[in-house]
Amino acid sequence: MKNAFAIAKKELNIYFATPIAYVMFTLFVVIGSYFFLRLLGAYEQASLMYMRFNSPEMMNRLNFQDAIFRALFGNLGVILIFVVPFLTMRLVAEEKKQKTIELLYSTPITPGQIVWGKYLAALAILVCTLALTLLYPALVHLVARDAQGVEWRSIFLGYAGLFLLGAAYMALGLFISSLTESQVVAALITFVVLLMTWIIGWSAAETEGPTREIVTYLSSVSHLDSFSKGTVDLKDVVYFLSICALGLFATHRAVEAHRWS
Amino acid sequence: MIEVSHLSKSYRDLKAVDDVSFQVQSGEILGFLGPNGAGKTTTMRILTGVLPPSSGSVKVSGFDVFEQPLEVKKRIGYLPENPPVYTDMTVRAYLRFVASIKGVSRKAREGEVDRVAQKTNCTQFIQRVIGNLSKGQRQRVGLAQALLGDPEVLILDEPTVGLDPAQIIEVRQLIKSLAGKHTIVLSTHILPEVTAICQKALIIAQGKVVAYDTLANLQHAHAGAATADGQTGPMPSLEEIFLKLTSA
Repeated sequence: MKNAFAIAKKELNIYFATPIAYVMFTLFVVIGSYFFLRLLGAYEQASLMYMRFNSPEMMNRLNFQDAIFRALFGNLGVILIFVVPFLTMRLVAEEKKQKTIELLYSTPITPGQIVWGKYLAALAILVCTLALTLLYPALVHLVARDAQGVEWRSIFLGYAGLFLLGAAYMALGLFISSLTESQVVAALITFVVLLMTWIIGWSAAETEGPTREIVTYLSSVSHLDSFSKGTVDLKDVVYFLSICALGLFATHRAVEAHRWS
Repeated sequence: MIEVSHLSKSYRDLKAVDDVSFQVQSGEILGFLGPNGAGKTTTMRILTGVLPPSSGSVKVSGFDVFEQPLEVKKRIGYLPENPPVYTDMTVRAYLRFVASIKGVSRKAREGEVDRVAQKTNCTQFIQRVIGNLSKGQRQRVGLAQALLGDPEVLILDEPTVGLDPAQIIEVRQLIKSLAGKHTIVLSTHILPEVTAICQKALIIAQGKVVAYDTLANLQHAHAGAATADGQTGPMPSLEEIFLKLTSA
């Protein structure tokens, strides 16, 4: 574990020494803020309209969680598809290209520790990325102290869901990065794969029966919804964790296999 | 200290290393010679556990590289052909990282980094980012990395490449000063280097060992024919021996 932490520390050192992490943070927050402001505007309009029609039961039903954050978490999940490939692309590909992987192979650490270390660093970057968006619920909380306010429990469950989704994406990205020497190829393939896990859900509407069940289950972003509603569905947790496990296992095999090629 | 027996490595149908055997005693410096593509780097990669061999075995301090790789890697410092440096890190951060994965304890790490930086003359640019260093400076950082943790065995793949003449002399002296305490295998293209620092030379060509002996014995074996008054012929230089053996 100590060795894995040493690798993770080195990865974080490089993440923050190069512009890539900062660029991705900025991108995530800029696009996230755009969606947040749009949703906030829609909420404002809805509440104005209900007030004009003087319908208190509609007003009671309007809450931040359903009107803003549920949709916002869905959107942030989609933005992760665009951000994660650029965060994972260099993890293994660059070590191969620069031949620094020879250093790792010749020191007393195992491939498992290399993979763990790199994944831990990726998760740390993911936490940083998501933490930046805590600004949105904090802002709503600040302004809406007298109203029903923000349901923090649901918010944190939503973040837990986003974290699991991001962790699954990172595991896939790490694996794809371990297959190539080229960062560009790694980023491109990761992006296509992540995009596929999202758009496969669109075809669910056109199918029925078991096919529909399967297609819906495969779609990554759809598993986020139960979290942003403020509930935890074991089915979704299993989905995310199994993708993480699969990605890490495959990366471990790929790193090990690289020496035999 | 290092026992290599019947080592072979093939890449598909290319035989890079073919039935190579040699031993290096504790404290010895072995010069590893051969034309480009002879299999020097491949052999060194196998010695350090980076590559698995196709057949044959390598033992370092009694541990088999293939069976107990971690035990072997704890005892080896390796400088590959291209210094394995992370160009986005500073020299100090890089050396700290390598020290930590080599198992140097947290307390001793800072002292160890300073020690190897001093030995390899890296101290004046230790705070700089490696990407901004010259080739010779990077080579010295690579050498510093290999010395971290004071390993018993050093495997150095062309350690003086890219250095200026003054630095070459410094590095040679450094390597010479390490002999006795460390067992060193050193590959090079520069033949006088072997004459200057090594006791033994191993010459390989096309993956096969063509000569393996002490320098003195090599010279005797390849000396010119005895002259009429019973004197042995002129002693050949290592260059002559090398060219004679590798051209065949």
